[in-house]
Amino acid sequence: MKKMNSVLLTVSLLAALLAGCAGGNNNPANTSNAPSDTAAPSNDGPEKTGEASGKQIKLEIIETGNNLPAPDKDIIKQELDKALNIDLNLTVYPSGDDYKNQLNVRMASGNFPDLFMVDRQQLIQFSKQGLLLDLTPYLDKLQQTVDFIGEESVKKGTVDGKVFAVSKSPQIPYQTYWIRKDWLDKLQLPVPATIEELAKTAEAFTTGDPDGNGKPDTFGLTGGKLNAFAPVFGAFGVGMPGNFYEKDGAIVNALYDPAMKDALTFIQQMVATGSVDPELLANSGLQHSEKAIKGQAGIVYLDWPNLTKEQMVEQIKTVNPNAEWLQIAPPSGPAGQNDGTWDIGATPGRYAIPKALEKDPEKLQRVFDLLNYISNPDGGSMLVQFGVKDTHYTLENGVPKMTDKASEVGYSWLYQFTGRPEMEYLQAKFALQSEYIKFASEQPRIESLGGFIDNPEGYNPADADRYIEEEFAKFIYNKRPISEYDAFIGTLESTMNYKALLDSASEQLKALGYGG
Amino acid sequence: MVKGWDDKLFNGVVYTVLGLCGLAAILPILYVVSVSLTPFGEVLRNGGFILIPREITFSAYRTLLTESNIPKAFQITVLITVIGTAVNLVLTGLMAYPLSRRNLPARNFFLLMIVFTLLFSGGLIPTYLVVKSMGLLDSIWAMILPNAVWSFNVLIMKSFFEGLPEELFESARMDGAKEFRILLQIVTPLSIPVLLTVGLFYLVGHWNEFFQAIFYVTDRTLFPLQVVVREILMQSQQPLENAENMLPTQTMQMASVMIASLPVIVVYPFLQKHFTKGMLLGSIKG
Repeated sequence: MKKMNSVLLTVSLLAALLAGCAGGNNNPANTSNAPSDTAAPSNDGPEKTGEASGKQIKLEIIETGNNLPAPDKDIIKQELDKALNIDLNLTVYPSGDDYKNQLNVRMASGNFPDLFMVDRQQLIQFSKQGLLLDLTPYLDKLQQTVDFIGEESVKKGTVDGKVFAVSKSPQIPYQTYWIRKDWLDKLQLPVPATIEELAKTAEAFTTGDPDGNGKPDTFGLTGGKLNAFAPVFGAFGVGMPGNFYEKDGAIVNALYDPAMKDALTFIQQMVATGSVDPELLANSGLQHSEKAIKGQAGIVYLDWPNLTKEQMVEQIKTVNPNAEWLQIAPPSGPAGQNDGTWDIGATPGRYAIPKALEKDPEKLQRVFDLLNYISNPDGGSMLVQFGVKDTHYTLENGVPKMTDKASEVGYSWLYQFTGRPEMEYLQAKFALQSEYIKFASEQPRIESLGGFIDNPEGYNPADADRYIEEEFAKFIYNKRPISEYDAFIGTLESTMNYKALLDSASEQLKALGYGG
Repeated sequence: MVKGWDDKLFNGVVYTVLGLCGLAAILPILYVVSVSLTPFGEVLRNGGFILIPREITFSAYRTLLTESNIPKAFQITVLITVIGTAVNLVLTGLMAYPLSRRNLPARNFFLLMIVFTLLFSGGLIPTYLVVKSMGLLDSIWAMILPNAVWSFNVLIMKSFFEGLPEELFESARMDGAKEFRILLQIVTPLSIPVLLTVGLFYLVGHWNEFFQAIFYVTDRTLFPLQVVVREILMQSQQPLENAENMLPTQTMQMASVMIASLPVIVVYPFLQKHFTKGMLLGSIKG
């Protein structure tokens, strides 16, 4: 009996140990604030330090993205591995939240990737915690990369005068208003050139049965939330709510722009006619583009890829063979024409290297090699842009031309850690859309400066942004009279500490030479 | 049997309510199936809503099964599910059985420890550190071992074992059986319903493996099905950042959902009989 009891005891002890592991299942929610004091850098990762310089080294990179093929089908990875004698392990996360959780856990537990994407907030946070490698002393080793992305982009990865991240070279704007040409023709309307005409056209699209099915199932304007009105704000010379920009030599926040109330009044009147997508503010992702393709909306504020890529054109034509989308210039208003705002301080992505890599100079060198290689216009840059020469593209007089196999490397942008020469790239890759690309990039836009501004202590952007969004929804749906606009600003300053942002922003922008 | 009008009314109400509930459950599945079988152009022409497909194509399934990461992910998921469920059942059984014997020393202490893990956990980062120091990162074991035993299932099994008549054990012992023989030859055959029930819990859990995969695994070739399917579904939720990004059509998304959920849907009816029995067992003490 005694023996049996001890067997039982042992078994249940063992089992109890295992049960200890069971508690944490399905509970990933509490990761957003990884405690920084547990985050002491440690270099006890699984990788060994290399001996011979000719040794193949494993590099781990994480970022957000999607559609990455398996390594055995990933020709870009194989080419990079061959060229640099590395074993590149790229992992992409389709959801930004998943990525943030993964990165926080790894930073907190000392299991650092060798190169990873960070946003500006994370860059500041991690660099203050001493988790990121200061690249300033290494800049001469990264000369190729610096030349490729440009000095401006280097600044975007700088915190307190030290370079902590490599930023991608800047993008160009893609978005404009698009309008259904065939609907205009049917109702015998001209292309709207002013915002008044825009409002009238939107109303006609709603009430005039432009699709001719006898049902009132269409509406005028749609877009992703308030962005649908970006050119309207622009016509009043106002940026999107919360944007900072220069106006008459001074720095202005769009919320404090005197023209903001006029813009809001105009938008509120437009919404009141019922010509705007009633679900406008609930449109997430690409719902507005779907509505446009399905033939529910006649005007949409959208980027060119989502209406002109072959796949999209095919969809549009299946729904209605006569559908014709026309890209139009921003309608003019009291302050001229502006196709919304364009943040000149933003970058499509920043990549940082962990401080722990300092202790492994050989591996660090390979990371630099990789960044330099993909930044070399005569070397890897062509690979990560267009694929393998003479397979996926051919060079004709120095201009790349995509072959019919190009779609095999459609994911190559995931490897563009230092960006790309945007215009040439798009022109080569999207030869058919060439005109739309140029048109969108040439429209006048208000240059917003938000990307240059770091949030000051004591200001919570998430709270403030939500409050602004909520109140703007009330204004444009006439749930709160615009006469209370000043009260709204008052609350924003008193409860959301918006004043702190304003002061800090103007200080930071002055330091960069904006606003006189 | 003659029924009064009130009986008929009562039945009518019951059938209506149950019918509506059934419809509410079936419609979404029907929608997913229909969209996954309809060419995308047709879906768009109908404003995105289709219940009965008029045109049928399997092209979305063909693309997913030949050109995407899904077949590989499917293999991984099957592997995790089979190995994982086996590990789960053995360990859970071995843990629950001793705890069901009233003569186990310090039994209440162990029970308390198990209930404790139901309520409190170490949190994500400490758990990650444990998994990392065990060298489990980037292996399928990272998706199996951290959840090898679910405390709740131990309690279900324990109460089932407690319900077995004591006389069985006595007679087995009189015939000379030791603990392991009793467990293997007496208890296990009598416990098929509870093993199936708990096994199904575990099986579905492994099939839906997601969080451990995205935290502990960075090797693309080890991603289970749900991670890959989520990748397909998430793309269209996000604003477009890269012009070259090819969005999967709604047809493709729904087809991936079907591939991910069909196997479990198919397994359910076969286990249902045991399932209800196993769920009830242990709920009445006597």
